[in-house]
Amino acid sequence: MTSLRTNLLLIVGGLAGILVTLFITNTMFDGSMEKMTGTPTWQNILLVNVLVGACILLFVVELRRQAIRVLLTVIVALILGFIVTFVFNLDAADRFASGEFRAQVVSDAEPVANDDVDLEYNKRRGGHFNKPNVVAPVSEIAWTFAGSEGDVVSLLAYAKNRRSEVDVLVELRDDSGAVLASATSATMTQVDETFDDLVSTKDAVIEGYELPADGVYTLYSRPEEIETSTTLSEAMRQSQLAFEALLLGPIERVNRWGVWIQDAITLILLGLSFAIVFRAQQFSLGAEGQLYFGALVSGIIALNSPHIPGILLIPFIILASGTAGFIYGLIPGALKAYLGANELVSTLMLNVIATRFFEMVLNFQLKPPDAGYVASSKFTENAILPVIVEKTQVTIGVFVVVVVIFICWLLIRRTPLGYEIRIIGSNLKFADYGGVNSRRTVMLVMAISGIVAGLAGMHLATGIHRQLILNISFALAFEGVVVALLARLNVLVVPFTGLLYAYLRAGAQFMERDANVSFEVVRMIQAIIILLITAEALVTFFQQRQKRADIDESGHAVAAVEGSDV
Amino acid sequence: MFENVIDGIFSAVFLAAILRVTTPILLPSLGALISEKAGVLNIGLEGMMLSSAFTGVVVSAYSQDWFGAETGLTIGPWLGLLLGVCVSLLLSFVLALFHLDLKGDLFLSGIALNIFGSSATVAIMFELTGDRGNTSTLASLQMPFIQLPEFINQIPIIGGFLFGVFDNQSVMTWVAFIAVFFVTFFLYRTPFGMHLRAVGENPEAAASVGINVKRIRYLALLISGFFAGLGGIHMSMGYLQLFQRDMTAGRGFIALVTPSLGGGTPAGAMIASSIFGFFDALGIRIGSLEIPSQLPQSIPYFATVLALVIYALQRRISQRVSEMRTASGAAFDAAFWRSIQRVSILHMLLMMVAVIGVVTGASILAAPNGFGGADGAVPIGLLIGALSIALFLISLPFVRDIFKIQQRWKASLAVTVVSLGIYLTLFLALFFEPILALVIGLLAAGAIWLIIGGRVLMRAD
Repeated sequence: MTSLRTNLLLIVGGLAGILVTLFITNTMFDGSMEKMTGTPTWQNILLVNVLVGACILLFVVELRRQAIRVLLTVIVALILGFIVTFVFNLDAADRFASGEFRAQVVSDAEPVANDDVDLEYNKRRGGHFNKPNVVAPVSEIAWTFAGSEGDVVSLLAYAKNRRSEVDVLVELRDDSGAVLASATSATMTQVDETFDDLVSTKDAVIEGYELPADGVYTLYSRPEEIETSTTLSEAMRQSQLAFEALLLGPIERVNRWGVWIQDAITLILLGLSFAIVFRAQQFSLGAEGQLYFGALVSGIIALNSPHIPGILLIPFIILASGTAGFIYGLIPGALKAYLGANELVSTLMLNVIATRFFEMVLNFQLKPPDAGYVASSKFTENAILPVIVEKTQVTIGVFVVVVVIFICWLLIRRTPLGYEIRIIGSNLKFADYGGVNSRRTVMLVMAISGIVAGLAGMHLATGIHRQLILNISFALAFEGVVVALLARLNVLVVPFTGLLYAYLRAGAQFMERDANVSFEVVRMIQAIIILLITAEALVTFFQQRQKRADIDESGHAVAAVEGSDV
Repeated sequence: MFENVIDGIFSAVFLAAILRVTTPILLPSLGALISEKAGVLNIGLEGMMLSSAFTGVVVSAYSQDWFGAETGLTIGPWLGLLLGVCVSLLLSFVLALFHLDLKGDLFLSGIALNIFGSSATVAIMFELTGDRGNTSTLASLQMPFIQLPEFINQIPIIGGFLFGVFDNQSVMTWVAFIAVFFVTFFLYRTPFGMHLRAVGENPEAAASVGINVKRIRYLALLISGFFAGLGGIHMSMGYLQLFQRDMTAGRGFIALVTPSLGGGTPAGAMIASSIFGFFDALGIRIGSLEIPSQLPQSIPYFATVLALVIYALQRRISQRVSEMRTASGAAFDAAFWRSIQRVSILHMLLMMVAVIGVVTGASILAAPNGFGGADGAVPIGLLIGALSIALFLISLPFVRDIFKIQQRWKASLAVTVVSLGIYLTLFLALFFEPILALVIGLLAAGAIWLIIGGRVLMRAD
């Protein structure tokens, strides 16, 4: 029975993995074999995509039924994110009410000389309707012109160029203010043939009106009222555009795919760091500080050793950054284990201290004196992680991550220390009775998670930025919390959740670029994911309903035994 | 240069600055205190502060459009306060719902709210202003500042000083310090406060006598959200007059520690918050020296870590002493052990100053360019670092084991005289001749040791 189930899971997971691998590769190269083989280093792209598929296999095999819950949580959070995006885009239709416009009276008749009027036949005049951030924006215009009886005139009001999307109407009024004629749009013929100035059919034209008498007339124009349906459909269109960029953007082209994978490497490392420490029920959020120290140490080494060959230097940098993270993780670990200092607060404070220290060293020591902004000089070639996919920053970090995942798995599942970590995580008192040296273990687990966070800093410095910059983490460390939680603190699932979350982050960048929706929407989605994933009662609520349904059907209680993974 | 800083610290202006920067720590501290008393520590204070700060700014800016310029100017701040606090209450309700009803983890739900507060404010700010750094394009308002009546300035001797400290403080500062009394009254003099503390100490026992634990915890979280909201409003409508991305800068987290540092009482929380306010103001003030601004900026955070350590050590010693008290019964000499505890705190503080010295030395060595070039700075950094490590090591035995203070009080006296004496000498050297400063410093250090509890130790021996 169990072997059947395991086999089934293997098959389902394997199929899902293969399908996703094929889908990503297919989308990246538009399904053409020549395009793929024409791309340099395409074998490595394929290799990484296969690894992505393997992550999905691990995800399904490790989490089993919980995998569905994780996916559902992400989907629910995405739907909520869509609603937020929709609300933010309710003003998308406002662009039809604002913009540069022109107005003109076209006529073949002889112009009447009159200095008191605003317009003359065939002379353009323009302005800007509802210009933002202006004290008194123009919301309507009423420009006068002089005409004689029998003049055949055409009144035009139109957007100045294609960039201005203002949707105007035009009215012809006589000097008493009565509306003689009005129009809200133009026909295709008018746009294409009759009037060269018009841009689209949204422009307003009163064509061929014969003036009834001599006198002064008024050309009145303002943006059209925006109907609710327009507002909603525009918001919908924009939100769809945004989510298309979010969901498909990262696999459109090789360089965008690279953004996704390079981000995923850092996130997986951070997720592992949090998964290890949360496993022992320690709410340490110190990864940010450890990341800064890892980056700082690797940066200092990289800047000071221009002549050492890369094959020696890179392993040294990896070791050194891991050690830096270890030491910076040891501090809150020791404070917690031997003094009982709250690790949440101490790590948050140590994060700020590390950030400030990093800034200080960067600003006053590593910055070249002639640099215009605060950053170190670029690293030399030997100190940069070798790139494996051209035109991206996908480096051998991929292999480093694979090795780190394997070591973390060994540590948690196959070593005495890992056993102690799991015991402490499930019950601290029990661990003490069972003879576990819980103080030492708590300290070590925080330090070990620091190693992995330090490696993440190393990857940011030598893999992605290739120099030290201010704000090198961009608050990335906290995203690691989501990655670890989504993976239910299982180190073998972290790669999948890291890829998933990095996908959303990369998508968010393209969403901001393509659809002008703020990147922070994805962080809001992240907050929703954490809330939903920790709310245990949400599951039991649904399960109880399920159980009740089972009871109703079969007439006797079905003991629901959930396979929990330790 | 240095003298200016010292003069500045002992002035009414500096005290006024302390009050101003204490307010946004004190208000959430009261919230944290109440939630902690009910056993549901509110980790989401930071996110709640950010959301209310942002709401206050936006509402006060737009109220001028809604009600016309004049009415908007008067009611805008208050409407901002009201809606800002409402948003904060809403977030704390979400936290309570997810923790108490949906059984979510309190810590992680709190972290989620912090992320939400930080991201939603930036996202909406981007929508409204097109800027993701701050709201400087919005004409937001400030809460009113309270002007003292002029006669206080006329009071002889202290009048001018009082006036300097308390005049022109934001109304929120007054609210914060007055709220301390209300919270004390609420916690210790009302039935509800009693129930709240009972729920925090032993929820099962409280439930068994018919207290609705969940309801009390809901209310405790809502109250803490209320105070966080007030703190946020002060950040953006009193401390500054705009909203900046992540402007609370960890104050919501500092507020989580102050109640425990203050011994779990509102007045203690106020004192602990003021200490942070002092460090905050100090950081701003010594920013005028020619040292990297990052060093003073990290002072409050160092102070938090060190305070956590002192608090944890102190709690352990108290436990030890109370164990001995139960063990030895009537023979227990309470006054003697109290002196021992006081002396141990002194040793801890000395050690903490040494830690700050080590960090300063390390900073100088790591970035000598920031301290006026490698030639002068490196030896100074080495000196400060080595001296601090030495002072740290000689204090260490007395902090690790308080019985050493009892057994070897002469060594304790010597350690105090040497290390405290050196710190005092460095300080006094700003005012007196070096030799004189050294003599006064050493004598003062010895005197402090005697007053704090040394005389009891000497007599007991």
